[in-house]
Amino acid sequence: MLALLACVLTLLIASALGSKPLIDTLMRLAIFGLYAVSLNILVGYTGLVSFGHAMFFGFGAYAFGLLMQTGVTSLPAAALASLALSAALALIVGALCIRLADIYFSFLTLAFQMLLHAVILSWVSLTGGDQGLQGGIPRPRFLGINLADPWQVFVVTTVVFFASLLAIRTILQSPFGYALRMVRDNAPRAAALGLPVQRYKLAAFVIAGLFGALAGILMALYVSGAYPNFAFWTLSGEGMFMIMLGGIGVFLGPVLGAAIFLLLNDTVTRFTEYNGMVMGVVLLVVVLGLRQGLLDVVMARLRPR
Amino acid sequence: MTAHLAIADLVKHFGGVVATDHVTLDFPPGSLTAVIGPNGAGKSTLFNLITGRIRPDGGQVLLDGADIAGLAETAIVARGIGRAFQIASLFPSFTVAESLAAAILAHRRQTHRMLTRFPLAAARGRADEVMHLVGLDAHADRLAQHLSHGDQKLLDIALALALDPGVLLLDEPTAGMGRDERWQIIETVHRLWSARRMTMIFIEHDMDIVFKIAQSVRVLKYGRVLAEGTPAEIRDNDEVIAAYLGARYAKAAP
Amino acid sequence: MNLDAFAGCLSSASCLITQTSAGLIIGMLLFLVACGVTLIFGVLGVINFAHGAFYMLGAYLALTAYQLTDSYLAAVLCAAAGVGLFGVAFDRLFMSRVYNSNVLMQLLVCYAFVLILDDAVKMIWGAEFQSMGMPAVFALRPLHVFGGLVPPFYVFLVAVTVAIAIALGGLIERTLFGKIVRAAAVNRQMVSALGINTSLLYASVFGLGALLAGAAGALAAPVRSATPGMGVSILIESFIVTVIGGMGSIAGAFTAAVLLGLVRSFGSIGFPLFTDGLMFGLMVIVLLIRPQGLFARGSA
Repeated sequence: MLALLACVLTLLIASALGSKPLIDTLMRLAIFGLYAVSLNILVGYTGLVSFGHAMFFGFGAYAFGLLMQTGVTSLPAAALASLALSAALALIVGALCIRLADIYFSFLTLAFQMLLHAVILSWVSLTGGDQGLQGGIPRPRFLGINLADPWQVFVVTTVVFFASLLAIRTILQSPFGYALRMVRDNAPRAAALGLPVQRYKLAAFVIAGLFGALAGILMALYVSGAYPNFAFWTLSGEGMFMIMLGGIGVFLGPVLGAAIFLLLNDTVTRFTEYNGMVMGVVLLVVVLGLRQGLLDVVMARLRPR
Repeated sequence: MTAHLAIADLVKHFGGVVATDHVTLDFPPGSLTAVIGPNGAGKSTLFNLITGRIRPDGGQVLLDGADIAGLAETAIVARGIGRAFQIASLFPSFTVAESLAAAILAHRRQTHRMLTRFPLAAARGRADEVMHLVGLDAHADRLAQHLSHGDQKLLDIALALALDPGVLLLDEPTAGMGRDERWQIIETVHRLWSARRMTMIFIEHDMDIVFKIAQSVRVLKYGRVLAEGTPAEIRDNDEVIAAYLGARYAKAAP
Repeated sequence: MNLDAFAGCLSSASCLITQTSAGLIIGMLLFLVACGVTLIFGVLGVINFAHGAFYMLGAYLALTAYQLTDSYLAAVLCAAAGVGLFGVAFDRLFMSRVYNSNVLMQLLVCYAFVLILDDAVKMIWGAEFQSMGMPAVFALRPLHVFGGLVPPFYVFLVAVTVAIAIALGGLIERTLFGKIVRAAAVNRQMVSALGINTSLLYASVFGLGALLAGAAGALAAPVRSATPGMGVSILIESFIVTVIGGMGSIAGAFTAAVLLGLVRSFGSIGFPLFTDGLMFGLMVIVLLIRPQGLFARGSA
């Protein structure tokens, strides 16, 4: 209900103001907000610190773009097919990664993501290598929706964003979501209560991968293309940066984090080409100074003991 | 619900060390047994073997006659063996009520549900029941990490109890507590056992507690069974006195 | 895929020699970086994601030192010492604050430093590829071995790395420091309970790891061009090395590094597109069969 309201409100405000930069900003916020929330299913709710989440963002974008380019004529069909492929990828990679504990897990996810990145770069005939997918992504009409129109892309993205948030929220508030929290808080105890811990870790990995890929698909739609840096490790790092900024313990924390991150990054980029330096320092201050995200701090103040 | 637990010729090695050396023990349905022994006697290892956290190298664990040795931990829990830990093992960010509801759902295999809201009403009702049973009602909405030490131990036991187990294993339920708290928790434990008549086995170092509530006692040393019998028999057993109980109980014996 | 070229190379002594020597070079550099990763992990229980950036820093420091002094020896020493000191500072000032936090915090601190160091290098040395060129000492004619060409620098690099590996093995196996390091790898709590100054231990292990990465960067400078961001790929590969060799094992790291180097160099002939895939395939097989690594001591 709240999601529907927020969705309509966003669309109304955007259409009232109708400014192109605002719409662009909101688009990117929706895409990276969804990406960060999907990563937080793993980091914040399951306690699995994935350093390779951009793998799914990139894979979703490329799979969607390639399917559309190679003759799938229905846009929703291509989107669904790329989601299915992403889920399969997440299942395989996840099954390997969850065999390793903690920090090994982080490294292994990073390694697999870099493998995908290397494949994208070297398989030039399919992916266009470092130039990215060439020629744009065809956007045929479906259900009377014309995605060649930027405004309609924005509407679709906004609706998908809020629907996904609602879906993820529902999943996290369900018995399944609490099983993930049990794994995060104390996996051995969860096992001693009869919870098949590994299966739940894998399920979380697949669900997170799925929504990460959805964010990638939206990105491909937005820029009408796919680029190797969608699957580069820095995007995984940025995802963690976002959720750390906003707060890992609060559902909407990552969205706030994404907003701050994008704003900060845009501002910094305007003043200096060394934005990595500035962002790195900001990150250090947040991690070593606050030790938690902004919404985490707020919630800790609000919560009675 | 109650069950018959028996262990036959159980063996476990860690490298060159024999942690469990051909142990054979019987825990009749509805019995309340204390397992005692010096540090390193293999008491916790025995619990780990029974619950499937570690796999035995040989021997059997019989639950109502069926061999469960070597099964996965989750499969053994499903068959009704619950366990509480020496150091309370909880879900720190869960409230008491949430912890119990989650344990119940995990046990009922309902945690795969993604579209209903946690907790399901049925689980909530059962959680209330368990909370009442151990006397944690007043703390239902407090986070596990904010509970007092004694209440954390109670919650740990309640988590195991939520599974309605036929066999309940308690690893030092009074570890790290003050005297008064100890007796409080032990009274609760004894009350639970009297009310439910499950088969209960507990590891304990405080001999006053052991001799007060246990129906029978098993003594382990170096991974072997040193003695078994009623508290009175154990108190008079010269070997046990020499190996473990020491002078205090020797003098008390006539 | 080019199986003809691959078969052709396998049947030609000169190609075998050339590719093997190239593979060994890659393996040696990988080993130097990986054994820092594995040492730090073994003792501190932390994976230093910034380790690749240390390697990059080493290459750039060597570059500058070489331009200033014109001596390659000075360049290597300067890079190793400089990066080693940087590692100690990094550990004491930043990482030590998150040793007791979760993995996320440790990762983010490392990530922040990768961002900062990459940009710092860009600021100081520029974003373009930089090359040291072959130092005059090694600008000799290549050696002919069975018809294959082996640059003298390759021989030097292998010799130096093997010497470092042996010295490291001796340090770990025969000295008090090594004893503590081995004990810490088994049980970290025990070491601090024994009254050993863990801050000093952590700083020195971190420093040693960084020093090796710095040396690797300096040794790579004559044969690789330096670029900001060069650390990431060697970080990933050195992680694959530690997975295959077993975390905490120096001998395992050496063997796995050489293996991976050879896979890279021969793979680039037969399967240029899938060289990365080959390395990962190797890692996945090890993970499935022996998750603790091929050379790990005892159980994981």
